[in-house]
Amino acid sequence: MKKTLNIKYFLIGLGLTYFASSCVDLEEKVYSQVTSDNFFQTDEEFISALGGAYSSLSKLGNHSGLWSINEISSDEIVVSHKGGDWFDGGVLLQLHQHEFQKDNPFLNNSWNFLFGGINTCNRLIYSFEQLNNANSPSYIAELRALRALYYYWAMDAFGNVPIVTDFTSTDKPSNSSRKVVYDFILKELNEIIPLLPIKKDGTTYGRMTKWSALVIRMKMYLNAEVYTGTPQWALAAADAATIINTGPYTLNPSYAANFAINNAGSPENIFVYPYDKVFAGGFNWVMMTNHIVSQATYNLTSQPWNGYQTVEEFYNSYIDPVKNPGTQGPVWKGLALERSTGTVDGRLSNFIVGPQKRADGSVLVDPGVEVTDPTGLKGDPNGAPLTFMPFLNEISPGGLRQAGARIGKYEFEKGGTNNMSNDFVIFRLSDVILSLAEANFRLGKTAEALALVNQIRARAGGLQPFTTLTADNLYAERGRELYVEMTRRQDQIRFKKYGEAWWPFAGMNRPKKVHAPGSFLEIFPIPNPQLLANTNLKQNPGYN
Amino acid sequence: MDVLKDGSAAAIYGTRGSSGVILVTTKSGKKGKAVVEYSGTAATENVARTIQVMTADEYRALPGSNDLGSETDWFDAVTRTGVSFVNNLSISGGNEGTSYRMSLNSRNVEGVGLNSGFDQLNARLNLTQRALNDKALFSVSISNTTADRQFGNDNSFRYAIITNPTLPIYDPKPQSPNFGGYSERDIFDWYNPVSIVEQNKNDGRESRLLASIRGEYNFSSKFKAAVFYASQRETFWNGTYSPKTAKYGGGFGRNGLASIRNNESLNDLFEATVNYDETVGKLGMSFLGGYSYQEFFNQGDFSQAGNFLTDAFTYNNLGAALDFANGLANVFSYANENKLVAFFGRANFNFDDTYLLSISSRYEGSSRFGENNKWGLFPAVSAGVNLANLVDITGVSAMKLRASFGRTGTQPGESYISLLRFARQGNFFYNGNFIPSYGPVSNENPDLSWETKDEFNLGLDFVILNNKLDGSIDYFTRVTSGMILPINVPVPPNLFPTTLLNIGEVENSGLEVLLNYKAIDKSDFKWNVGVNFSTLATNLRSLSAGDLSFGAVNYRSNFGSPGQNLTQLIRVQENGPLGQIWGPIQTGVDEKGAPILKVIDGTAKDANGKPVYCNCDKDRAQLGTAYPTINFGINNNFNYKNWDLNFFFRGSLGHSLINSYRGFYENTESTTVQNWNVVKTKYFDPNIKKAEYNSSHVEKADFVILDNATIGYNFNVKQGKSVGKIRTFLSVQTPFMFTGYTGVDPAVRYQDPDNGDPLAPGIERRATYFTTKITTLGLNLSF
Repeated sequence: MKKTLNIKYFLIGLGLTYFASSCVDLEEKVYSQVTSDNFFQTDEEFISALGGAYSSLSKLGNHSGLWSINEISSDEIVVSHKGGDWFDGGVLLQLHQHEFQKDNPFLNNSWNFLFGGINTCNRLIYSFEQLNNANSPSYIAELRALRALYYYWAMDAFGNVPIVTDFTSTDKPSNSSRKVVYDFILKELNEIIPLLPIKKDGTTYGRMTKWSALVIRMKMYLNAEVYTGTPQWALAAADAATIINTGPYTLNPSYAANFAINNAGSPENIFVYPYDKVFAGGFNWVMMTNHIVSQATYNLTSQPWNGYQTVEEFYNSYIDPVKNPGTQGPVWKGLALERSTGTVDGRLSNFIVGPQKRADGSVLVDPGVEVTDPTGLKGDPNGAPLTFMPFLNEISPGGLRQAGARIGKYEFEKGGTNNMSNDFVIFRLSDVILSLAEANFRLGKTAEALALVNQIRARAGGLQPFTTLTADNLYAERGRELYVEMTRRQDQIRFKKYGEAWWPFAGMNRPKKVHAPGSFLEIFPIPNPQLLANTNLKQNPGYN
Repeated sequence: MDVLKDGSAAAIYGTRGSSGVILVTTKSGKKGKAVVEYSGTAATENVARTIQVMTADEYRALPGSNDLGSETDWFDAVTRTGVSFVNNLSISGGNEGTSYRMSLNSRNVEGVGLNSGFDQLNARLNLTQRALNDKALFSVSISNTTADRQFGNDNSFRYAIITNPTLPIYDPKPQSPNFGGYSERDIFDWYNPVSIVEQNKNDGRESRLLASIRGEYNFSSKFKAAVFYASQRETFWNGTYSPKTAKYGGGFGRNGLASIRNNESLNDLFEATVNYDETVGKLGMSFLGGYSYQEFFNQGDFSQAGNFLTDAFTYNNLGAALDFANGLANVFSYANENKLVAFFGRANFNFDDTYLLSISSRYEGSSRFGENNKWGLFPAVSAGVNLANLVDITGVSAMKLRASFGRTGTQPGESYISLLRFARQGNFFYNGNFIPSYGPVSNENPDLSWETKDEFNLGLDFVILNNKLDGSIDYFTRVTSGMILPINVPVPPNLFPTTLLNIGEVENSGLEVLLNYKAIDKSDFKWNVGVNFSTLATNLRSLSAGDLSFGAVNYRSNFGSPGQNLTQLIRVQENGPLGQIWGPIQTGVDEKGAPILKVIDGTAKDANGKPVYCNCDKDRAQLGTAYPTINFGINNNFNYKNWDLNFFFRGSLGHSLINSYRGFYENTESTTVQNWNVVKTKYFDPNIKKAEYNSSHVEKADFVILDNATIGYNFNVKQGKSVGKIRTFLSVQTPFMFTGYTGVDPAVRYQDPDNGDPLAPGIERRATYFTTKITTLGLNLSF
């Protein structure tokens, strides 16, 4: 009897133990993702984690991020309000008119891109420090170089940004002045440049090398007067010369080949983000710039968005026979009703202009055309056939659907998707050559500078060399060569052109804000969501 | 069916009760002769209201119109009269120890949209058995439901509304490429509506098996215990195919595009309860204690691939798609789980049917919260006094005063938010090859805890005027705290710019009145009038947590594409009411047809120094309120001999809605006119040539609707015939409405239909296509 009782208690006890352990157990079991308990253990997993720092660069080729704010606020690109399309709360117009507002979501996207990248680098640097294996030092140097790139972009766009290097810190950071950020980036670059790889091959393609880090430092020095008040032309020239003379890069005989679908073999590109329609999507220019019906030109899998256009004056800087002397021939100009005569700059491959065809060569028709108006002011000058004309009638609200030269710089793939496979060029040698030219020019070594500029002009094709070099034609040459490579806003600020009134039409609902060099508008406001999330951040001067 | 609305009644049901509780007790058999019942209905459904657009003639008369030579009523072309049949058959009965009920239900429903509808079959068995001298009671229930569905395509309605009325449905001179014979135009954001729904296949199949068993043992007349186990298994399959000739749906661009989706959801519930009842003199007491364990498991997969040699396979041979070889196919699968565990108890006291008190508490844990915040305590107390038992007032048969307090909790809509997780994020170009790149997926929030709702209720139930009038009056206040919402956080130190966390507090309060009056109560003629109305006041007390905040004011939702993606519509303000519809005030039209917008702030100036609209929040104002002043319903019920007649009106007054269709398409801007049809309501002004959201698109949306009217007849059946009861009825749902609103449906929108955001009410989105009216003829028989 007693024994049965004991068994009974034993069973009850067992039951209670089971109950306590399983019936109140609220642990979550994760099935389709991994947690730190079962990740970051093998070499392959370390490498895949390192990839996280690079894959955020895939946002460079999208609409509405860092590339967009840099290009739309410059005199290269405009996205006009086309009837019912592309008004989008006015944020694109604000960027182009220099009426920067802290609640513009493009600014917040850019900030999140930059600081997301910085934080990923911090996280991985911390992880590799903890891991402390044989590969850790080289990965850490590479991540610090990539972080320096994000910081350089952040300092260039937003000026006074917070510096955070410790991933374990939970403090909300406060701003550092642009000068302090500049000094921080330089110190980082100086420390890591000797540690970075120097080879140009498959192991360094799309990765930070000594040469990419040198380009960042060269660009820091080139713009040092804007960033700190003190010019550093000689230091910029020295870094540029090092890259040109000792780096493994040469000018590509074909300008356009640097941007071809298969541009991985370019001898000129120094740092790229390798996009791929299958493996690494996000390069959407084919959608952003082409007309809706251009789908039939390239047999695309989806319909383009008819957004990004080139500012007409900028386009004209290629074909102008005086400002850009060269072989005269038929070019598209103005309303593009027929060809005009102008300079046939080999780099006109940067644009898509003139009548558009279907893939089979037949005429492409825009069935949603506006009324016909031969002046192009109120309607389409040539009717239904789709013709991209350099002419832009107005910014808002009645921008014509076919107005503006389109961005043809990167080759579009026939049968492509909305994700392009061309590798996105972040740094390339011709920018370094023109930077050396500019540094020399500013240092008074005009002859050396002129030779370098003419080296670039000779490669472009169809051009005569400049006989004299001025700030203006150097600036214009940089524009033609580096169109949509995210350098124009910086160039305009450095050449004191950013506050000028370009494109002063009546068609704007109000004209672009004109401002003096050094104006607070040369850096963007810190986005409002960041100020709300972090009360330690202070808005940049001039903005409220 | 019992509806438990106040917080104290709902609290014991825990998480599942936070929005109120509806208890559905399925019918079970009674002992005696087997009863066979049949009911059947046949119904037709038609479009009642949609957005008004121009006819072909009106459109052709517009300057700049694009006459394509035909005349098509597009909305008519994509809709039809939906005919539906519902049949129910049940058998129930039993003897001393056993009772049973079997039922079969079939539904064949045709949607109003082309190629939409479903065929559903449900079979159910409920069985109850008494044993051990009636001390034990076992019941079993099994129900299986299967449904085949055709989903149609809602975008066919959207594009039908805005399609050029002079375009023919079919292309008279098919060109290359040939879109299956349908007319297509290369314009932005438009596809042939008939082609969308006729060419694309979108089919589904669901099945749901629910089985439960319950055992109860009465240890004595006062003490009993019960265990309950239920298991539900749901599967869902969905296949789509867009053929090579379908411009909409990806088939044209992708050379045929197919997808298959599967999902399986398992839900297991175990519950054990003990009850103890005791009476001491005039005091009745009842105690309940229990434990509940519920586990949810979900898994599924999705595959989408294009580039087929032939359209013949549709979604039945995904492997034939070339996309698997060229890397453009999209495949994923997933699994997740979550658990709810609760201990609960309740004590009810009843003194002489005059003083009532109930105290309950539920201690509930959810796996979805952070390690130290999984458990929450949800207490409730309610007290009542039957005044009619204390004082005798002439004509008052019952009068009960009640007060209650209850707390309920809400868990987040997804699992794993408290954990730091890693997942694949694209690829990384490493040594000449792409390799997968992994990184964190969201900010972990280990502090995530229950969102709570405290509800206080004060009410009076009464039956007066010699039983002619009964009703209730309730005042309630609900305070929701620690709302689980995404908010911006700084990066670094956070990994991502938003975190889901507990933030803010909202207070809702209002009055609810229910009255029922027996106007005429004679043996062969009865007339009952029921009236209910309610008010609701909201106050967003806080949108902050610590030093994180949405800001004292923020703007939410956006109007949409084309061109108004970043146009925000609703203002959210700390210490202000919810539902502030916000935007620029239109004062006129300029010579270019753009709306002239009121300048309020005046700091933005044009080149001549003249103040201009700033295109910023300083020049916007409140344009209406999304919440009504009052919601009401009026029911009339007549019985005359064998006839019965019932009609129910309901309505809402005082609220406004943003009419999105007008905001996009009621203008004569050249692109609108060239590309689409033009919306034409009583507000149409041919001078407006720009689609830009402003005060003119915010409309008062007061309405009264006849919700339902039914007339029925009960046949006289002689005793002893095989048929026990025959009833037929004819009913109409929402046959007409009184409103000045020009959109589709003036119903209050308590949240943004696009994303469910409760802080952005008051928007009628373009996805509201039409309302319907339903006419039903029914027959009930029992044998």
